[in-house]
Amino acid sequence: MTTTAASTKTRRRRAFTRGDKFTLSMFLGVPTFLHVVWVWIPAIATIGLSFTYWNGVSLSNIRWAGLANYDTIFTAAPQFYDALRNNTYWLLWFTFIATPLGVLLAYQIDRKIRGSKIYESVYYIPVVLSLAVIGIIWKFMLGPGGLVQALLGYPEIERAIPIFSNYDINTYVILGIASWRHIGYIMLLYLAGLKSVDPSLREAAAIDGATEWQTFRKVVFPAMKPVNTIIIVITVIESLRAFDLIYIIYGTSTGWPILGMLVFVNIYGQAASMLGAAYAVILFLLSIIPIVFYLRTVFKDDVA
Amino acid sequence: MSNEVTENGVSRRTVLKGAALGGLGLVGGGTLLSSCGSDEATGPVTFTARTNDETGLKIAQALADAYKAETGIDVTMQGSGDTNAFQDGISQYLQGTPDDVFQWMAGFRTNFRADQGLLADLSDNISNLGDQMPEGFVSGATNPSDGKQYIIPTTWYPWGLHYRKSTMIELGLDPENIQTWDDFMKLLEGTQKKGLIGYAMGDKGGWEAMGTFSIINTRMNGYDYHIDLLNGRAKWTDQATIDVFNQFAMLIPYMNKNFLDISWDGMRDLLLQKKCGAMMMGSWWANDFLAKSQEDYDDLWIVPFPEINPEFGRDSIDAPVDGVSVASNGSNVEGGKAFAEWIGSEAGMLAAQAAGDTSLYANSRLDTSGYDAFNKQKLAVIGEAKNVMNFLDRDCRNDFAGTIVGPAIQNFLKAPKDVNKIVDGMQEAWDALPPLE
Repeated sequence: MTTTAASTKTRRRRAFTRGDKFTLSMFLGVPTFLHVVWVWIPAIATIGLSFTYWNGVSLSNIRWAGLANYDTIFTAAPQFYDALRNNTYWLLWFTFIATPLGVLLAYQIDRKIRGSKIYESVYYIPVVLSLAVIGIIWKFMLGPGGLVQALLGYPEIERAIPIFSNYDINTYVILGIASWRHIGYIMLLYLAGLKSVDPSLREAAAIDGATEWQTFRKVVFPAMKPVNTIIIVITVIESLRAFDLIYIIYGTSTGWPILGMLVFVNIYGQAASMLGAAYAVILFLLSIIPIVFYLRTVFKDDVA
Repeated sequence: MSNEVTENGVSRRTVLKGAALGGLGLVGGGTLLSSCGSDEATGPVTFTARTNDETGLKIAQALADAYKAETGIDVTMQGSGDTNAFQDGISQYLQGTPDDVFQWMAGFRTNFRADQGLLADLSDNISNLGDQMPEGFVSGATNPSDGKQYIIPTTWYPWGLHYRKSTMIELGLDPENIQTWDDFMKLLEGTQKKGLIGYAMGDKGGWEAMGTFSIINTRMNGYDYHIDLLNGRAKWTDQATIDVFNQFAMLIPYMNKNFLDISWDGMRDLLLQKKCGAMMMGSWWANDFLAKSQEDYDDLWIVPFPEINPEFGRDSIDAPVDGVSVASNGSNVEGGKAFAEWIGSEAGMLAAQAAGDTSLYANSRLDTSGYDAFNKQKLAVIGEAKNVMNFLDRDCRNDFAGTIVGPAIQNFLKAPKDVNKIVDGMQEAWDALPPLE
């Protein structure tokens, strides 16, 4: 016992020289400090401010409001439930359509079908554009006087068909535009993962007489677990943090409300309340719960 | 502790009207401009134009150049990038490193920021301008909470029905003679029958249709009711308010179907391209018609929105006052004040005019006799009204106008049948607002 304790002690002492300690404290301390200052303090301040009335100008104007902002959101904010619905659509669409499509594409390209490099490039190109740029491109294409309108036979402004303001189709249009990029992103991530799967696993499965689908489901997919986790987290985060695309297309008029947009329009220098902070806290909780839950499940498995 | 936008009362309206019609005659006197009174104002000045369209930036640059030529002081002009974003984020902008001078608008949007100490007091500059600045504009620019001015009024414009004379002649219609709602409906129908849009609408920005709502409300329920409504003394759920929405709904069949896909500039283009009959808008974009061609500009005309309730006739109008403000956080506040004062002076206004600004000027030295036919008509349209409004989003607190009224009117245009649900939501949102102070 004593010897082990002593040897551990020596080893530890040997492991951390003064130089090591300095390096470690720099490598851990500086990022931690920056993270706390730029992420945690603003986040905690936002949570605190969500319980106040404040116009954002001078600190002495802050007044305690209790749960009033939350009460307003849940009972007297006409757009809150629309935004919640739109974010939910976004999440469902990404989870069940865009992300699986990206995975499917990655799998097909990984099989080295003819022209796979070309497909890979074509699907990946939108990913190099930010969502803001994508918003501008599609706004021009689909808006009055845009290319798509002209192709549909409505080149004049007055005859242009409503696309972004038509509630029957605009959800699909927006989600289609967002997927245009998301699919390529997921494809690339998954492709990178697939490349790292040991080919002998597949060969073994093939020898055992597994079909393509069985091989993917029982062999490749489980082997890709770390990538799967990342993809699920990315899908959830991308769906909830959606903002730039909508801001570019609709501006602050919230023609297609989402939570990120409500945070913005309610905090951006206009208001006497801190409604925007309360929206941000709601969004934060919605984002953190699934992610913490998922990561916990994953890490529990890893430990066991 | 009140959550209402304090109004300046009757004085502004009556005097403003007087100034517009006759008061500009005072000019002659020839009192020399007691030049700026701020000798310490040196060093380069920075200047943000609120607009971003070509004409607006050209005019702003012309102001900068003319000031440089006159005083030798450098002025760096820049556009705001995105006008809506600039307006929404003004409090943040002013707390950062703002330009010294920026184009702004009188009313709540100025007074609220002035109360927060974000704007420099321009009272001295206003008094330096002396009789160049008509009393009505001074009272319109005065912050009711401290009696000081934080904006130098430069231009103003009426909201009315715009149309092209040539289009109406072609259609055989006469908008000058629409007096009643029925006449108006016939006009819209006549326009639509000929294959044009009767009532052009572009409400993508969320504020454009506020002009139509406000004017119908004042026509049906009067100016006092309208201001009461915007300040919480009347209710959105009142039958009187619902009636306004229902009246508004009668216009929807005459609108272009893509009214939520285009903004004000889309409407302007419809008129420019002779695709529509009437368009309810403020006249500030007339500059763009002039920039296109003199012929287009001469073809443009404006008439007041028709009467609905004879009790109120056509006694109210939206005629917002624009101007320039100085950021108290700017790097050259004194220089900024001097430049702002100069913009409001005769020299500044002449420079803007030379650069193609067709607006109505606040400055009394630019007498009305020099105005072109369209400007004289604009003055006549304003002059007919007894009550002058600042436009809904300047007569009402910003966290209600922008975030609640705008989307509510958009939803209403999309589904006019849902009006009861929409006004319920608006009233709930109003009741949940915290007091302003």
